[in-house]
Amino acid sequence: MAVGPASLARPAPVAGRPFTLRGFVEREGVFSWLMLAPGVVFLLAFVAYPFFYGIYLSLQDRRVSEPGTFVGLANFATLFQDGVFWQVTRNTFVYTIVATFLKMIGGLAMALVMNQRFRGRNLARAFLLLPFIVPTILSTVAWMWILDPTFSVINWTLLNSGLVKTNFSWLGNATLAMVSIIAVNVWRGVPFYGITLLAGLQTISPDLYEAAAIDGASTHQRFWHITLPVIKPVLIIVTMFSVIFTFSDFQLVYALTHGGPANATHLFATYAFDIGMSAGQLGSGAAVALSMLPALALLIVGLTLYLRRE
Amino acid sequence: MTTRREFLTVTLAAAGGALTPRMGTAAPKAMSVARESSFIKAFDDYFAKTLLPEYEKLTGIKMSYEAVSVGGMLTRLTTIVETKSGPEIAMTAVNWPYLFDAGLVDLTDLATEIGKKLGPWHDNIHDAVVVNKKWKALPWGNIGQLEVYRTDWFKEVGVTKFPDNWEDLLAAGRLLKKKGHPFGFELGHGFGDNHGWLYPLLWSYGGREVDKDGKTVLIDSSETAKAVDFCRKFYQETMLEDVLGWTDVNNNKAYLGEQISCTNNASSILVVAKRDFPEIAKVTDHGLNPQGPKGRFHILNPVSHAIVSSAPDVGAAKAFLRWLYDDKQMSRWLASGDAYYAPFLTAYDNHPMWGPEPRYLPYKESLKTSRLHGWPGPPSPAMSESVAKYVMVDMFAKACRGDSTKDVIATAASQLKQIYKAK
Repeated sequence: MAVGPASLARPAPVAGRPFTLRGFVEREGVFSWLMLAPGVVFLLAFVAYPFFYGIYLSLQDRRVSEPGTFVGLANFATLFQDGVFWQVTRNTFVYTIVATFLKMIGGLAMALVMNQRFRGRNLARAFLLLPFIVPTILSTVAWMWILDPTFSVINWTLLNSGLVKTNFSWLGNATLAMVSIIAVNVWRGVPFYGITLLAGLQTISPDLYEAAAIDGASTHQRFWHITLPVIKPVLIIVTMFSVIFTFSDFQLVYALTHGGPANATHLFATYAFDIGMSAGQLGSGAAVALSMLPALALLIVGLTLYLRRE
Repeated sequence: MTTRREFLTVTLAAAGGALTPRMGTAAPKAMSVARESSFIKAFDDYFAKTLLPEYEKLTGIKMSYEAVSVGGMLTRLTTIVETKSGPEIAMTAVNWPYLFDAGLVDLTDLATEIGKKLGPWHDNIHDAVVVNKKWKALPWGNIGQLEVYRTDWFKEVGVTKFPDNWEDLLAAGRLLKKKGHPFGFELGHGFGDNHGWLYPLLWSYGGREVDKDGKTVLIDSSETAKAVDFCRKFYQETMLEDVLGWTDVNNNKAYLGEQISCTNNASSILVVAKRDFPEIAKVTDHGLNPQGPKGRFHILNPVSHAIVSSAPDVGAAKAFLRWLYDDKQMSRWLASGDAYYAPFLTAYDNHPMWGPEPRYLPYKESLKTSRLHGWPGPPSPAMSESVAKYVMVDMFAKACRGDSTKDVIATAASQLKQIYKAK
């Protein structure tokens, strides 16, 4: 005879038994909803509401302090004719792809090193997390000094070591400005990759490595045939998160370059802010922000499907 | 006996009464004022630590001060107006009264009253605060953007008086750069020091962004081309490459770090130098923007105070502004600001605040030739959009990095036509 799983929750009150609040709360249906409620309320208030409000705004000609009028997709049509918008799109893709790739490589290297036994390992792990822990705006101010043409420690070192003859304009030159914001993003994001991948590495049984070593597998082969396949799901998830964070990055760019020079570092978030907040065009600003959605949605769906298949 | 209908009516009326904002029948218990921090600490402190406690003592209304970080006031005002909560009184700048028209209280009565007592108001301020014949903010003062320069280094190359026109300034800059003292004029995405010299440069060559009708885009002209060509030469022959990426803090830092000999800025460089770098302060002076073939111009950067429509007690907020704009208070507050703000009321044209430091006088003088961004077009949301998108700044910056004059003007014209919805 098949036996169903025993319910952990208290059974429903028998007819005639007096109603008690405790009994009501401990009903399976009620209890599970109570546990879910804070999360659901949080998501509704801080994710769903702003998201749907953003869509609503993007379909309006809505100026700050004034009621909006429905314009359908006119804001998007205007954006698609805006040269700066396409430059912003290119910038955002370059920034996200390069920074995510570098963070992945750096984070993986960091995790592999941190997974080895050596003296002071715990201290090193704590220090490596610092860039991720320090508030972005604070670390960005430090980077402003590091990249300042006059006071830059990098320029000083390069000049005094005789490697270059003139200062680099880290934030004034369009290419170098993009390189600089990518470098700062990588510096800040590598620990996130590193610590998450380290957690994945620690789940790998040492027996697998021992068996592979007995079979004569080299370090290189052990990495490709044991380490990488085991941490692949973690790697995909952390990449998904990293792409979302990088794609919608704001603080770092806003503080360092504000999108300059001549829009060379403007990203979706900074451009949306300028149009929505500085120009008071809330509808157009929302349309810029929502333009991130298709690319991000495709990526998330793609990676999720891949994970499921795996 | 009370019926259910009667009970509901009384209950709803009581609840409604409790929820309805007070309409000035009694003084409010508290009010707050949001202002952007100026670079002048003494000025901010005088407001927060002297004037507000005085008003609190006088009226019993608890006054609080919300200091907003530099460059953040526009965002803060947006959240106040959109959420209909927060401080009752807020600082506005440039043409914001136009942007927030529907969210601000009509202050025409107060402006007229103050104008009669201490005025008249300077003419050019009407453009910034009078929207559809209604005063939407009370002008406080102009934060002028002038040339700040090192007198000792200019003397070293034989320039004893600040050059009167752009060509002479270029000639001086060439000599100074050769001596290791380049110029540093912001060409990046800051909020003030870029527009502060680029619009006046454009105007002084006869270039205009848009016509008086606010619809006809005029940027594609030979006058604009001359201004762009000059700017490229000025940048290449006198400046550091990094100015293309500068925001508003960079030129202050570079000047006080003795890396540049001249920039365009408010008087805050001298104020800070006097406090922290007295040796630099001794050799710093201000000059009016040089003139071009079509005259001399400055940017109008007015700071004003407005009352938001959601203020629970508009009468009490107006009473505070009336008190604040009384000469007894206004005079003291202006004096604490080291002439950082040039007032728009003619009664202060010869105020003692201008006496102690003659080097601030050009800021007063510059008021006569100051215009809002987008001039001669009328102030409008489109004007704000053009500024927020850095159309003019990027036009000049792209030319400086090497793009052709024709291309940068064509790009700017295309953007402006979209912004001003020109045919």
